[in-house]
Amino acid sequence: MKSLPTKKTHALGAALFAAAMALPFSNTAFAEAAPERGIVAFKYLNYQENQPVYEDRIGVNAVTVSAMVPIAGKWSISTSYTYDSVTGASPEMYSTSNPEMVSGASKIREYRNAGDLSVTRYFSQGSLTAGTSYSEENDYISRGYSLQGSLSTEDKNTTFTLGGSYTADSIAANIEEWELAGRTEDKRTVAGAIGVTQILTKRDIVQLNVGYSRGSGYFTDPYKPFDYRPDWRESKTVMTRWNHHFDGVDGTSHLSYRFYTDSFGIRAHTFGLEYLQSLPNDWTVTPSVRFSSQTAADFYRPSPLVLPDYITNPGFRSFDQRLSAFGALTLGVKVSKRIAKDWLVDLKYESYKQRAEWCMTGGGDAGLKPFNASFFQFGLSREI
Amino acid sequence: MKKNVLLKPGYALLLLMLALSGCSIGPAVQPWEKETLARPEMTFEGDPLDNKYTEHIYSSKEAASGGAGVGGGGCGCN
Amino acid sequence: MVIFPKKTLKTLLFSSLLCLSCNATSYALEAGSKAPDFSLPGVQGTVELSSTAGSVVYVDFWASWCGPCKQSFGWMNAMQDKYRAQGLKIIGINLDSKTEDAKKFLAQTPAHFAVAFESKGVTPKNYGVKGMPTSFLVGRDGKVIFQHLGFKEADREKLEKEIKAALEAKK
Repeated sequence: MKSLPTKKTHALGAALFAAAMALPFSNTAFAEAAPERGIVAFKYLNYQENQPVYEDRIGVNAVTVSAMVPIAGKWSISTSYTYDSVTGASPEMYSTSNPEMVSGASKIREYRNAGDLSVTRYFSQGSLTAGTSYSEENDYISRGYSLQGSLSTEDKNTTFTLGGSYTADSIAANIEEWELAGRTEDKRTVAGAIGVTQILTKRDIVQLNVGYSRGSGYFTDPYKPFDYRPDWRESKTVMTRWNHHFDGVDGTSHLSYRFYTDSFGIRAHTFGLEYLQSLPNDWTVTPSVRFSSQTAADFYRPSPLVLPDYITNPGFRSFDQRLSAFGALTLGVKVSKRIAKDWLVDLKYESYKQRAEWCMTGGGDAGLKPFNASFFQFGLSREI
Repeated sequence: MKKNVLLKPGYALLLLMLALSGCSIGPAVQPWEKETLARPEMTFEGDPLDNKYTEHIYSSKEAASGGAGVGGGGCGCN
Repeated sequence: MVIFPKKTLKTLLFSSLLCLSCNATSYALEAGSKAPDFSLPGVQGTVELSSTAGSVVYVDFWASWCGPCKQSFGWMNAMQDKYRAQGLKIIGINLDSKTEDAKKFLAQTPAHFAVAFESKGVTPKNYGVKGMPTSFLVGRDGKVIFQHLGFKEADREKLEKEIKAALEAKK
């Protein structure tokens, strides 16, 4: 597929690789004992974003199937496969209300295939997990490898985890000049994390994770004109989580806070709260709220209207809204029901709003249009 | 100055959690007292596919990512 | 950049580790030591260890919410039926905080062996139970032969061998 450099727009699709790195880790963290039963699951996602002036922005439909199988009481194997299709249009450079620039948005249609596989060995006081993941789009391939260990105290009230991952990405932009030159770019990321989970009381459990990641290679967005970013990025995260059970009402709260800082100069605070209420006949209702506030990257430029300056100035720069200062609020509700002994069905709806003026520390770019999105999920799982 | 103020919550929480990791409030929970803790909603695992999707979305629409469990990180900036 | 004063960090880490070691203190019941006696209400009257003197006793600590415990019930039923005549007595000590939960469980998963209810946590503490389920094999002399933590399909054979050996051992 050939297209002019200024017409081809890169969207959620190619950007979605990032989470692929997290895949090998996400399922088996902190498992203390070998699972007794396996599980197969299906999940559908519909993501739709919208922003004033831009009609028909990015929409994503994704399906995932996954399976986890215990083996001989000492091992488990987990695997999943995801297929995404992305359609719609994304603003090319800068989401402004200036009508002359709106024409920069163009339609796209992209697909992504992703899979992951992990194997866990359980010991009396710990576990070891090795995982791999793969994600492919027509302009982006990502391969990830990870290793993670957990170790519990004898009373199993404290669990320590240590993990590392390596991700190799290859980028081949759908831009004529890249294609003619046979140009590809690489990005390699090494990440490590250490965590502790502690049981505090019969109904309280807390967790602390500290993470570090360093990537080097191509970080620039090839589809955004005048985008020029450093060739490395280092980030650090501190995350705390606290689960509490309310005996009287048979409900459970999940509270979380994450601090993020990176070498682009971005600092972010993310708060999450969800509350699971058990109801009669195996129903569970879970309202949730998430708020995240981030500062802008050092090289974020509020407006590309003075282009000549950026052309002559060789420094790093980006007009990407995602690197600007903003606050984002998500409100959601999930309903799940056990429809048979081993069958679970769930529905989830979330509404996401991003606003420059909601940045906790100020400094939001007033020229940016509000950004909204909605996420809808349907899931079905069965214990085997 | 601004930087320090921003760092405070994370720093304070880290210290608090470190302290908590060793000195839990009250007596240690016994194995036979873990009925509630054994319930799936008390684990940090949650719904893996739900988490996968939402982490995916946030890492591609916001600058920050990772933090939960081990690993994560990544860019989400393109 | 998150920068921690090194000294503070070290002190904190050290103190938290110290606390960990205190919290982890428990009393392990070693093989060869006398099995602590208990007298608990059961499904059919009081269940006492002392009244089983001369038998090989398999004491199992379980709870209704524990998955592997449920798995072990079928095996324990089979063992009790198979070796009753040779002098095996299985006692399942339930540790649910609410005894009704245990009774509901038993209605669905009947036990062919003696079941006692212990909601105070005294007996498991005396035995140094470290996980669910934990079982103790007590010889005819009233001394602990071994203890076993957890229950997997793969454990069946090994545990039966131990029981057989204990039944055949001379007094």
